[in-house]
Amino acid sequence: MTTEHAHDHSAHAAIENDELPGYYEILEMSVRELLIERELITADEVRHQIEVLDSRSPALGSRLVARAWIDPTFKARLLQSGNTAAEEMGISIYDDTTLTVLENTESVHNLIVCTLCSCYPRPILGLPPDWYKSKPYRSRAVREPRAVLEEFGTKIGDNVEVRVNDSTSNLRYLVLPLRPSGTEHLTEEQLAKLVTRDTMIGVTVPKA
Amino acid sequence: MTDTSMLVKKLPNDFGGTGAHEPVPMAVHDLLPWEKRCHALLDVLDFHKIVNTEEKRRGTEEIGTEMAAKLTYYEKWIVSASNCLLQKGILTPDEIGRKHKEVSLRLGVPV
Repeated sequence: MTTEHAHDHSAHAAIENDELPGYYEILEMSVRELLIERELITADEVRHQIEVLDSRSPALGSRLVARAWIDPTFKARLLQSGNTAAEEMGISIYDDTTLTVLENTESVHNLIVCTLCSCYPRPILGLPPDWYKSKPYRSRAVREPRAVLEEFGTKIGDNVEVRVNDSTSNLRYLVLPLRPSGTEHLTEEQLAKLVTRDTMIGVTVPKA
Repeated sequence: MTDTSMLVKKLPNDFGGTGAHEPVPMAVHDLLPWEKRCHALLDVLDFHKIVNTEEKRRGTEEIGTEMAAKLTYYEKWIVSASNCLLQKGILTPDEIGRKHKEVSLRLGVPV
C-alpha cells in the first residue's frame, strides 16, 4: 500500500450485509426470478426502478416549494395540480398517483400521515423516514397532532388550525410551507435550502 | 354480550386514532440492499398491475396480527405480494418452494 493510499478500505463499506441472506430476502429473490422467467417483468425494469428510487430525494420537493415562493403563477399551478407542476419542473410522478399540494397559511398548518400504511409522495420526497411508517405516528397524528408536533419540537399557535391529511394509495399529499419572514433577499436556490423534508410533511416549519 | 363491532370497524392496520401514548420513534435506518430491491420489485408489479398498491396493502392486513406485529416493514410487503400472486394463480406454492430452495442452495444457505 502506498502512503498516498494508506487508509483502511473496510471503513468504506457503509451498508453491507455480511450475513447470509435470510428467509424473506430469499423470498424476494425467488419471486423476482420466477416472474422474470415467466416474462411478466424484466430484470431491467427492476434495475431501472432502483435507479429511479435513488434519483428521488427531498431536494426535488424543495425546488418546487422555493419556486412557488418566488413565482405566484407557478404556485397557483402547483396548488391546482401537483402532477402538472411537478412535470413542468421535470419531475415525473412515476407511480401514477395524484399529488395534492396543501398550502400552509397564517391560519392553517397542514400535516400529512397515512393511517392505513405508508402512502407518501415518493416521486417528490423519496422514501419516507421510518417514523412516518411507525404505529405511534400513524395512530396519534390524527388524534393528537399537536402533541405529536411537539415531539418534533414544533409548537403551532392555538390561533392556527392544525389540519391532518390522511393519504391513500392513489392520493398523495405534500405540504407547501409558509415562507419564513426575513427571507425576502434570498435567491430561489438559497430558499430551497430552507425547505427540508420534514417541513413538507408538516412536522416542522422552515426557519430563516 | 361482548361488543365485537370494533373488530369489524378497525382492521388490523387501521391505526388512525387508536391513540396509544407511545412516543414517535425518531431513529431511522438506511434501507438494506434487499429492501430497496424489494421496493423496486413491488413498484414494477404495480406498474404492470400484476399486484397493485392497494392489493398489497390489503394483503398486509390478511397476514394476521402476530405476523403484522413481528415482521419488519419489507418482510410484510414481500409476504403480502407473494400471497397476492398465489391468490391470483400467477405463482403456485410449489413453484415458490422449489425456487426458494434453489436460491438458498446457490447462496450457500442451509435448507
